[in-house]
Amino acid sequence: MKNLLMFKMIILGIIMSYSCSKDDPDAINQQEYISNVVLEIQAADGSNQTIDWDISEQNSQSINLNANVDYNVDISFLNNSDPTDIENVTLEIIEEADEHQVFYEFAEVSVNVISASDDTKDGNRGILIKSIWNASSSGSGIVRVYLIHQPSNLNATTREGIGGFNDVAIDIPITITD
Amino acid sequence: MKISLFRIILPFLSGFNLIYCQTCDLQIEGRIIDLHDGSPIIGALIKIEGTNFFSQTNFEGNYQIKGLCPGNYQISIEHPQCRTLKKKLNLQKDQVNNYDLEHHINELEEIILSDKKIAQLRKSVQETSLDISEINSYGSNTLVEALNYIPGASVLKTGNGIAKPIIHGMLGSRVGIVTDNFRQHDQEWGSDHAPNIDFNSFESIQLIKGAAALRYGGDIPGGLIILSSNRKKLKDSLYGGSSFILESNGRGGKITSNIEKTYSNGFFITGNLTTKRFGDFHAPNYVLSNTGLKEADFSLKLGNDKLVRGWKLNYSRYSIETAILKGAHIGNVEDLFYSINSNTPRIVEDFTYAIYAPKQTGRHHRLSFSYFKLFENQNKLEWGYNFQANKRKEFDVRRGGRTEIPAIDLLLKTHNFVGSVSGINYKNWNFELGINGLFQDNFSDPNTGIKRLIPDYLKYEVGFYALGNFQKNNSFVWEYGFRVDQIIVDAKKYYDLSNWNERNYSSLFSEFERQNVGTQILTNPKLQYLNFSAQTGISLGIGEAFTINASYILSQRAPNASELFSDGLHHSIAAIEYGNLSLQKELSHKMLASFIKQGDEFTFSIDPFISKIIDYIFIEPTKLEQTIRGAFPVWEYKATDAFFSGIDFNSSIDIAEQLTFDLGLSYTYAQDLSNDKPIILIPPFNSFQSLKFTPKNQKWNFEIVHHINGKQNRFPNSNFPVSLIQNGELINTEVDISSPPSGFQKVDAYASIKIKSNENFKSKIRIIVQNLTNTEYRDYLNRMRFYSADLGRNIQLQLNLTY
Repeated sequence: MKNLLMFKMIILGIIMSYSCSKDDPDAINQQEYISNVVLEIQAADGSNQTIDWDISEQNSQSINLNANVDYNVDISFLNNSDPTDIENVTLEIIEEADEHQVFYEFAEVSVNVISASDDTKDGNRGILIKSIWNASSSGSGIVRVYLIHQPSNLNATTREGIGGFNDVAIDIPITITD
Repeated sequence: MKISLFRIILPFLSGFNLIYCQTCDLQIEGRIIDLHDGSPIIGALIKIEGTNFFSQTNFEGNYQIKGLCPGNYQISIEHPQCRTLKKKLNLQKDQVNNYDLEHHINELEEIILSDKKIAQLRKSVQETSLDISEINSYGSNTLVEALNYIPGASVLKTGNGIAKPIIHGMLGSRVGIVTDNFRQHDQEWGSDHAPNIDFNSFESIQLIKGAAALRYGGDIPGGLIILSSNRKKLKDSLYGGSSFILESNGRGGKITSNIEKTYSNGFFITGNLTTKRFGDFHAPNYVLSNTGLKEADFSLKLGNDKLVRGWKLNYSRYSIETAILKGAHIGNVEDLFYSINSNTPRIVEDFTYAIYAPKQTGRHHRLSFSYFKLFENQNKLEWGYNFQANKRKEFDVRRGGRTEIPAIDLLLKTHNFVGSVSGINYKNWNFELGINGLFQDNFSDPNTGIKRLIPDYLKYEVGFYALGNFQKNNSFVWEYGFRVDQIIVDAKKYYDLSNWNERNYSSLFSEFERQNVGTQILTNPKLQYLNFSAQTGISLGIGEAFTINASYILSQRAPNASELFSDGLHHSIAAIEYGNLSLQKELSHKMLASFIKQGDEFTFSIDPFISKIIDYIFIEPTKLEQTIRGAFPVWEYKATDAFFSGIDFNSSIDIAEQLTFDLGLSYTYAQDLSNDKPIILIPPFNSFQSLKFTPKNQKWNFEIVHHINGKQNRFPNSNFPVSLIQNGELINTEVDISSPPSGFQKVDAYASIKIKSNENFKSKIRIIVQNLTNTEYRDYLNRMRFYSADLGRNIQLQLNLTY
C-alpha cells in the first residue's frame, strides 16, 4: 500500500509541475515563400509594361504585345510575407542557377522566347531570368510562367519533358496585336 | 498471479473443447516440470482432494488419473523439495494439465501454464498472436508487414520502409499499439507515419480485432496490436540469439541480436540491438531512386520477477532514416498529373545507398517502470510509469540550401501512469479495476521556416476502467467492461487571418482568439471530450470441436491533432490539408463474431463483423485553392456516418502427414452513409494460400505462398481538375487519384534448413524468395502507387542462431 501512495504522489507531482499552459509559440515567417511574380516588359522603342502577379490578389492584368517586335522580359520573384522586409527571391535563384529553370508556355498564341544576352547562365543554358520575346501573329491567350526546381531534361521543349517540380506555376493573360 | 486461462482456441491448434459428460470416465493427465530449467519432476504426488484418486509422476514427469466424474475438484501437487500447490479444477472432459513446480522460492503460489505459439487469451474477442521469431522467418522487415499474414489485418504503405497497420478497414488513431503494457505515443495520425517500434526487442505480438483492450483505451474501434515480452524463467542462465539477414532487393540487410541473463532469485537483464541498412529498392523494371533506409535500435530491460511481486525497468531507443522516392516529390497538380499518367517514375537514377531529401527521420525513446504485487487473496496490484519522447523530422527538396532544414520538426513528449487491481474474485466472477493518467506535450519547431502542419499543444487524459468476466465452466464465459476517459486538449496555433475568417471561426470560436500578428492570428483552442466506452461478449463451446464467440464493442474517440488542426501542404499528393475545429468525437458500435472448428486434420475459423461509426472523421477534397504553384485541391476533415462490415476466413488442412494446406480470405466493405459513397483506402478482397511440406525426421522444410489481391471497385471519386498546356493549347482534364490499380497475384517461397542443433547451440538457414515471378504490380494501399510499381523479386538469406 505504501507503493500506491508513492505512486499517487508521483502522479500528483508531475501533473502539478506541468499543469500551467504552454508558452506562446513564435510566429513563423515563411522562408522560400514566393508571394509575387513580377514581369518587366520593355520594347526597343522604350515603351514598357510591368505585370505584378500577387498571390493575395491574384490579379489578371493582361500582357499586351505587338507581333514581330522584340521585347526584353525580366522576371523577378518576391517574398512579401513580412511587408517591412520584402525579400528578393530572384537572387537565391540566380545563386542556384544550376538547379533552376524559368519556363514560359503559351496557349492559343505563339511567342518565341530566347535567353537574353545579359541572362543568368549555367554553362551555356540561360535560365531565362532575362529573356527576349517575339510574338509571330495576333491573338489572345495565356502564358503560364514556371519556375522549375531541379529540371531533369533541359533539352526538352515542353513542361512535361523538362521534369523537375514546379516552384511557381501561374497563368497570365496575354494579348498580341499586329 | 492467478492466470485462470484455458487452452487456447485458434484454428491452427488443438484447444479446449469441453462437453458435458454424465459418466465417470474422465481423465486428467499432464507433466510436472521444474520451473527453473524445464526438467521433469520425478515422484511428485498429484492428489484429487476428498477422493482416493492420486498419481505419481514417472521419470518423464508425466502423471495420469483415470475414472473421474465431471465436477469441481481441488487438486494438490506435492513433492518433498517443493512447496505444495493447490489448484481448482473444473472437470467436464478429459484434460491435459501441465504444471511448473518451483524449488527455491517459498512464496510461490503460482502455476504457470505453458505458453502456446498462437494463443487466444481473451475469449470473446478474436485475437491472434504470433511469435516474433515467426515474423522474422516470414522475412518481414517491419512490425506492420508481419500483420499481412493475419486475415483481417492489412498494411497501408508509403514506399517500402513506411508501413501502417489497418484492422477492419481502419487505421491511424483507430488502431492502438501497446508495447510492454503501455500505449505507444508517436505521431500516429499521418498515413506516412510508421509506428516507431523495433519488434525485435519483443517476443510476441498479438492482434486484437476489436476494442477489447479497454485496459489500454476505449478509443480504438479498429483494434489493438500488443507487443510483449515473455515471462522470464527463474533460473541461472545466459542465452541469446542472433539473426543475420541479407536481401537482394535494396542490397542490404539486417542484424539483430539479443542476450538475456536470468538468475534464480528472479532478477533478469536483457538487451537487444538491431541495425538495418538498405540502398535503393527496385521494382521489376527500374530502380526506385531514393528509397533506402537506415535504422539502429537498442533496448535494455531489467527487473526482478519473483512471481508474487516484481518490478521492471525498460529503456528503448529507436532511430530511423527513410528516403522517400524521388519521383514522388512533386511541385503541383500538373506534376502529379504527369506522374500518374506515366508508367515509370519521373526520376530514375543509378542504385545508391545514399539517402537524399525527400526523407524522414524518426527517433523514439521509451522509458518505463512497472511494479506488481500479488496478495494472499489472489488480488494483483500493478502500477507503472512510462515516458516517451518522439522526434519526427521530414525533409523536402528546398531552395537556398534549406534542404538540410526539416520542413516538419515535431517533438512529442508523453507521460503515462497506469494502476490496476486485478484478480478480484467472487465465486465465478472475476474483476479488474484500473486508472490511467496521461500528459502529452507536442512542440512544433518554428525553425523550419514553413507553416506548422501540427501546432503546439498540451493534452491531458484521465481514464478509469472496470473489466470482468463470469465463468461458469470451461464452455461458457461472459466478459464485460466499461471505461470513462476525460480528455482535454490545449493548443496554441497561428491561423492565417483570412483562413480563420473564411471558415467562420471568428464567430464560432471567438473565445479562442488571442492576438493578431501581421496576417496571422494566434489562437488558443481548448477542447474537452468525455468519452465512454464499453464491451461485452460471450464465448460458448459447442460439442467437441466448435466454439462460438460474439461480442459488442462501444467506443468513442476524440479527434486527433491532425483532424483538428492540420494546416499545410502535403507534397506527395499535391494537397492542401485543413483540420476542422468543429469536429465531435466519433462513436462506434461494433459487433464481432467468430465460429471456430477444431479438428485433428481440419480446422477453420470464420470471423464476421459489422460496425457503425457515427461522426466518423474523414478527409475529402472540397475546393481548389490558388497558390503560387497553381491551383491545389483543398482537403478538409469532415464527419459523416459510416458503416463497415467484413469477413475473415482462415483454415488449415493436413492433406497428408507431411503436407499442410492453409487458406486465408478477407473482405471488407465500407460505406459513407451520409453521402452514400464508398470510403477511401479500404483493403480490396485478398487471400493467401500456402502449401507447407515438412518431411519427417528431416532437417528441412519448404513452404510456398500464393497471394491474391483483388481490384478495389468501391472507391470515392476524389479526382480534381487540372489545366495543361499541350501543343500551344489549353486543355482541361482531370487528375485521377481515385481509380485503384488492377488486382495482382504474387508468389513467395520459403525454405529452411537446420544446420546444427544441440542443447546449447542451434543454427538454421532460411532462404526466402518474395515476389518469385518478379511480377509488376501496384498496390491500392501503397501511396507510392501514383509514382511507381511495387517491389520486384527479393531473395533473402537468413542465418539464425540461438545460444
